[in-house]
Amino acid sequence: MTQKPLELILARNLMSALSTPAFLVDEGGVLVFYNEAAGMLLGKRFEELGTVGADEWGSLFGPFDEHGNPIPYDELPLVVAVRNGRPAHADFEISSVDGARHRVEVSAFPILTAHGSQGAIAVFWPAGSSNGTGAPR
Amino acid sequence: MKVKLWGTRGSIPSPGPETIRYGGNTSCVGVTLSDGSMLALDAGTGIRSLGLALAAEPARLHILLTHLHLDHIQGLVFFAPAFRAQTEIVIWGPASPEASLRDRIARYISAPLSPVEVRELPCDVSFRHCPEAEWEIGPARIRAASVAHRGPTLGYRIDDGDSSLAYIPDHEPALGADIDALEEDWISGLGLARNASLLIHDGQYTDAEYPDHIGWGHSSLSHAVSFARRASAGRTLLFHHDPMHTDAQLDALGLAARERWMQAGGAENGMELAAEGTEYELPARAASAASAT
Repeated sequence: MTQKPLELILARNLMSALSTPAFLVDEGGVLVFYNEAAGMLLGKRFEELGTVGADEWGSLFGPFDEHGNPIPYDELPLVVAVRNGRPAHADFEISSVDGARHRVEVSAFPILTAHGSQGAIAVFWPAGSSNGTGAPR
Repeated sequence: MKVKLWGTRGSIPSPGPETIRYGGNTSCVGVTLSDGSMLALDAGTGIRSLGLALAAEPARLHILLTHLHLDHIQGLVFFAPAFRAQTEIVIWGPASPEASLRDRIARYISAPLSPVEVRELPCDVSFRHCPEAEWEIGPARIRAASVAHRGPTLGYRIDDGDSSLAYIPDHEPALGADIDALEEDWISGLGLARNASLLIHDGQYTDAEYPDHIGWGHSSLSHAVSFARRASAGRTLLFHHDPMHTDAQLDALGLAARERWMQAGGAENGMELAAEGTEYELPARAASAASAT
């Protein structure tokens, strides 16, 4: 058994308590967790999907630019955060499993520790929402 | 490997007639490796007695600090070997982005809190940040990993031959998590404790007390039992006793812990409360329990 770094464990614990959709990747870019709110947005719970490789998750749910074109994996905020160790922000559309499109704003930031980068977190804000949950004001 | 408990109390020394059996000194565990070399795990007030028990001849000692809360370092300036010029002491601890280990410890070993400064200690003392990778001290392999507590905090695992000790005295693995339901690799500290011959683990609060202390960095009895069960440790000592808990209250807590442990399918002698002065000889095989003397 390889222990996850504590910073990822604490990030997952925090994300589990949030009503804001949030995604967590490890230092290799593997999607290791997303919370229930993210599962509702995507139409699939993390427990149903499991971990997803770094080169796979980027295409699972889109994302698409304003013209409907897929956004290159390298340009996704989570990828920028984990690779470059700096925060990144973008807005785009994602596709849930039922085919519905959702416009979201995404902020990602790296998880940096005394031992270097341990991964990154991305928080999704449904466009037009004031509280990050998609609920009306 | 031999283990002796020199201080089992958490937070603040708690001497007095009501804490005689479990002890009032704060965290310190002495470990004698198979080649006779000596480690001290934490330097709470219990390390004073450890220092007095050590022979006066020149020696090399390693002190492994889990973190720098006062109940884990308060005994450093009362550790007799630190005042012998012939002694070499290596102090290991967690790294912090804020300052070096030496500078952070010097905040305590300096005026106005201390009559001596680090530079005035007669011994040859050095400070080292614990590496991410396993390292060796004598015949032992040492592993340190960050665990869920307040501030940079480590747990340790010491493997010497076939015996192993996991030491996680300040730990709240259940903070925002369900220990019983999580996958093993997502449980703080479990990688250190897995199949250890002896696990020394935080058990500060009763289940009734814990809700008022969520986020303080410590475990309830139920959380400690769940963690030990997931770790499959040979024997578990609940440690870091709350300073408000008397011997009588700890007796009751120990009874409850054993019952809970056995209800979870644990061995009859697999769970007990740590008591100051107790010694353990660690078995060669992780599956069998450590024996107390």
